[in-house]
Amino acid sequence: MRCTRSRWLAGISALAIALTLGMAGWVGATKRPRYGGTLRVQLHVASLSLDPREWKAGSVTAADSERLASLVYERLVTLDEFGRFQAVLATEWSHDGAARNWQFKIRSGVKFSDSSALTAKDVAAALQPLLPAGQTITSSESSVTIHSPRAVPDLLQQLASGRYFVFRAQGGNAPLLGTGPFVLAETTPPTPSEMNPSVLKPARMKFRANEEHWAGRPFLDGVDVTLGDPPLRQILNLQVGRAEVIDIPPDLVRKAHQENLRVWSSPPETLLALRFDDGQPSTQDARLREALDLALDRQTMASVLLQRQAQPAESLLPQWLSGYAFLFGSAMNLDRAKELRAALPANVAGGAEPLRMRVDAVGDLMKLLGERVAINARQGNLSVQLMPHAASGTGATGPAGLHLFAWHYDSLSPRVQLEEMAQYLRAEAGSEAANESTNPEKLFADEQRLLGTRQMLPLVALPEYVGLASNVRNWSVAPSGEWRLADVWLDSGEAAASNGDSSGGRNGAQGVHP
Amino acid sequence: MISSAQNAVRRNLDCPPLVVLSLFILLLFATSGTSGQSVNSGGSPTTLDEAVQQLADRVAGIPNLRGPLRVQYFQEAPFAAETGKDWEESFRKGLEKSRLAVTDDAGANLLRVGLAETPTEVVLSAGIRLNEKEEVRFVTVTRTAFALPNAAVSPVRVEQQLVYQSTERILDAVFATDDAGAGLVILADRAAGLAVARVDGAGEVKQTVSLAGAGARASRDNDGELAVHANDVEAVIGGKACHFTWAAGQDVACHSVKVVRRGATVVKPRCGDGSWKLAGEGSDWFSPDLLQVVPDGSARKGSTALLSDFPGPIVSVSAGGEPNADSALVVTRNLRTGNYEVYKVTLACGN
Repeated sequence: MRCTRSRWLAGISALAIALTLGMAGWVGATKRPRYGGTLRVQLHVASLSLDPREWKAGSVTAADSERLASLVYERLVTLDEFGRFQAVLATEWSHDGAARNWQFKIRSGVKFSDSSALTAKDVAAALQPLLPAGQTITSSESSVTIHSPRAVPDLLQQLASGRYFVFRAQGGNAPLLGTGPFVLAETTPPTPSEMNPSVLKPARMKFRANEEHWAGRPFLDGVDVTLGDPPLRQILNLQVGRAEVIDIPPDLVRKAHQENLRVWSSPPETLLALRFDDGQPSTQDARLREALDLALDRQTMASVLLQRQAQPAESLLPQWLSGYAFLFGSAMNLDRAKELRAALPANVAGGAEPLRMRVDAVGDLMKLLGERVAINARQGNLSVQLMPHAASGTGATGPAGLHLFAWHYDSLSPRVQLEEMAQYLRAEAGSEAANESTNPEKLFADEQRLLGTRQMLPLVALPEYVGLASNVRNWSVAPSGEWRLADVWLDSGEAAASNGDSSGGRNGAQGVHP
Repeated sequence: MISSAQNAVRRNLDCPPLVVLSLFILLLFATSGTSGQSVNSGGSPTTLDEAVQQLADRVAGIPNLRGPLRVQYFQEAPFAAETGKDWEESFRKGLEKSRLAVTDDAGANLLRVGLAETPTEVVLSAGIRLNEKEEVRFVTVTRTAFALPNAAVSPVRVEQQLVYQSTERILDAVFATDDAGAGLVILADRAAGLAVARVDGAGEVKQTVSLAGAGARASRDNDGELAVHANDVEAVIGGKACHFTWAAGQDVACHSVKVVRRGATVVKPRCGDGSWKLAGEGSDWFSPDLLQVVPDGSARKGSTALLSDFPGPIVSVSAGGEPNADSALVVTRNLRTGNYEVYKVTLACGN
C-alpha cells in the first residue's frame, strides 16, 4: 500500500499519544544509573547488632539489624519477587530424594572485605551456629552440605531469610567480616552532646562501597546510618534534605502523607498480639481467654487507632505468607463475651482482680494499643490493667497474666515461622507444629490448633513504612524484607521523581516505583 | 533431584522464548470453559486452571457436603488484576460438574474460596463449616512450576513484537547480520558468567559463546553493548571489548578499551522521509518505561513525541545491523514475570 505523508501521520497518531515533552534531560538513550554519593538513612531503633548469632526469632530489633546486615553479609541464595531462588554465594544446589541432605556449590572468586577468599569452610563455620537444632553442615573443597534428621523441603526459603548470613568471625570484639556490597567502615556509639551533656547524640554507622564485590561495585559510595533519632525529627530531616531514607512508625504515616512525602510500604511484617502468661493462674481458664478474644475490636484498632495503616489480624501467619489467613475469623461478640464472663467465678483475674497486662516498650503505639485492649475488655465486663513498664514482670502489683508484644515475621517459610511462634508460646499444642510437612493443610491445622488454645490473640498486623527522598532511584525490597541498597542510586538531576505515595507491598507494581 | 539455580528458574538461554505469565493465565481461562479434558486430581497441577479444577474436585469430595452452596471468593487486589474473575467461574463450573449447585441464597452453607500468591507458591484454598467442624482443602502450585505455552513469540503487531525472552539478565540485543539470515544476537549475564548468544527468527538459541573465560565481567549497571558485522561480534562491557567470530566458536579475545557508548538509535520508516530517534525515558529499574520516539534533529524542548509502553524498565535500545533500519530492538525487564524481554519495534505506516 502506498502511504502518503498525511496517511502516515494519521496512522502514527492512532498508534501513540502525541504530546509535548519537557526534553531537558534528553540524552538520546536510556538514562543510566549514576555512581557516587552517600545515602543517609535514619532509623528510630536506638541500637542494633550486626552479629546474626545474637538475633532472636521474631524480634523487631533483629529485623532492623537484618536490614543493615544485608549491606555487609550475603546469603547462599535469595528469593526474588517472582518466586525464583537466585544464586548468591551458592551457584548450584541439589538435594536427595528425601530432602534431608542439601548440597550447595560455593561461588568461586568471592572475597571478604579484608580481601581474603571465601571458602566452603567459612560458609560452614558461619551457618552452623545459626541452623536449628539437629541440622548440621559439613564442607568439602568447594561445596557445603546441610544434613537434617527430617525432611526440609523448604530449606531454601529458610536460608533466603532471617539470620542465615555468611560471615567470618575474627575473634574477640572485632566485627564480623562479610562479602557484601558494602563494608562497615565506622561505628560511633551514642555520645553526650557538647551543647547539652544530658542529651545523647545518636549512634552512627558508616558503610563504604565494596569496590571488589563479585557482582560489581554498588552505585553508592557509602551509606551513613543514624540510629535513635525521634520519628518526628526524621520526618523533618527528610523534608529539609538531611536524610534520604527514614523509617516511619504507622501512627505517623498519615502525617507523612499530609506533608506530601514519598512513602513506601511493605505487606504486613509485624504482628501485635496478646499472650496469656502464667503469672495469674486464672488466665489458664479457656472461658476467660475466649471472653477476652470475643471482646476485642480489631477492626477499630486498625482503622481508628492506627488510622488504616494496619490490618486487623485474626491469624498467626499473614495472608502473604500462608495464603490461607482469610479462612480464620473471629468476629467480635460482646454478648457472648459477657455470657462467658458471667459464667466465671467473680474473683478470677479479669473480675474482682484485674488482669495485669505488661506491654513491650516499642513506642507509644503499643501503649495506646494496650489502652484500647483494656477498653474493649471493660466492654465485655473484664478488667484489664496496664502495668507500668518498670513494673513489668513481677512488680509491686504482682506478676502479669497478659503480655502485649510485637512479633516480626522473619522467615519466608511458613512452617519455620509457625514453629518459631509455637516455641515462643511454649504451647503444648504447638509441639505438633514442629513437623517436617510443608503441606498447607497440615500447616493450617497446626495454626488452627495454636489459635484454638487462645494462648495468643492476634490483634493487628503492621506493614513497614519507609520515607524516601525524591532523588532515590532503584528502591526495592526483597521478599525477605531486606533493602536492596546495592542497586540504589541517587539522581542528582532536576528531573527527580515527584513525591507521592506508593504502597501495598514489596513486589512488582507495589511499593515505591517512581 | 536437582534444584540448582539453573533449574529453579523456568527457562534459560537455551530454551525457547516465553510469553508472560499473566498472558498465559488469561489464555488458559479463555479455553477453560470449553475444555472437556478430565483432570487427574492426584497429580500436581502445572497451570492455574488445573489447580482450580483440582480444588473443585477436592471440595466435592468433602464427606457429607451437599449443595446448594453460597460461595465467597477472596483474592488479594494486586494478584486479582493478573487473573481476573475467570477462575471463579471456572471453579463454579467445577462444582456444578460434581452436582454441587451454587446459589446466592444467604441461608445456604457458606464456602469460602481464596486465591493467593505467597513468596513461592500460588495457593488455592476452600473452607466450609460442616457439623461444627471446619473442613478445609488446599491446592498449591509452585510459582515457578507453571507450564509455559508453546506459542512463544507473539503475533506480529504493528509497532511492538516480542521476539525473545529469558529468565537471565539480557544486557543488549542487536539484529543478526550473519549468513544465517534473520535473527538476533543477545548479550546475557548468566549464573556462569557473560555470554553472547545467536537466536534465530523462531526464538531458538543456535549458538552460545561464553565471555567469562576471557575475563569479561558484567557490572551492576546493566551497561553492555554488542556490535555485529557479518560474522564478527564485538561485546563491550565493563571497560573491555571482546571479539570473536561465530565460526571460531569459543576463541574470544578481550582487551581494555575506553568505552564509547552507542549513539542515539535512529530509525527511518519505510514511508515518509524523516528519521526518528528512540530512547527510554525512565531512570528506575522498578517502574515500567516509555519508549520515546522523537523526530531526529528536532528541537529538544517542545518536540512532538510518540510514546510506547513497555512492561518494565528499558535496558537497551539498538538498531545496529538492521539492513532496513525501520526497526530497532528494545530490551526490557518485565516487572510482572521478572523475565528479560526483547521487542522488535517498528515504525509502522498508516493503520
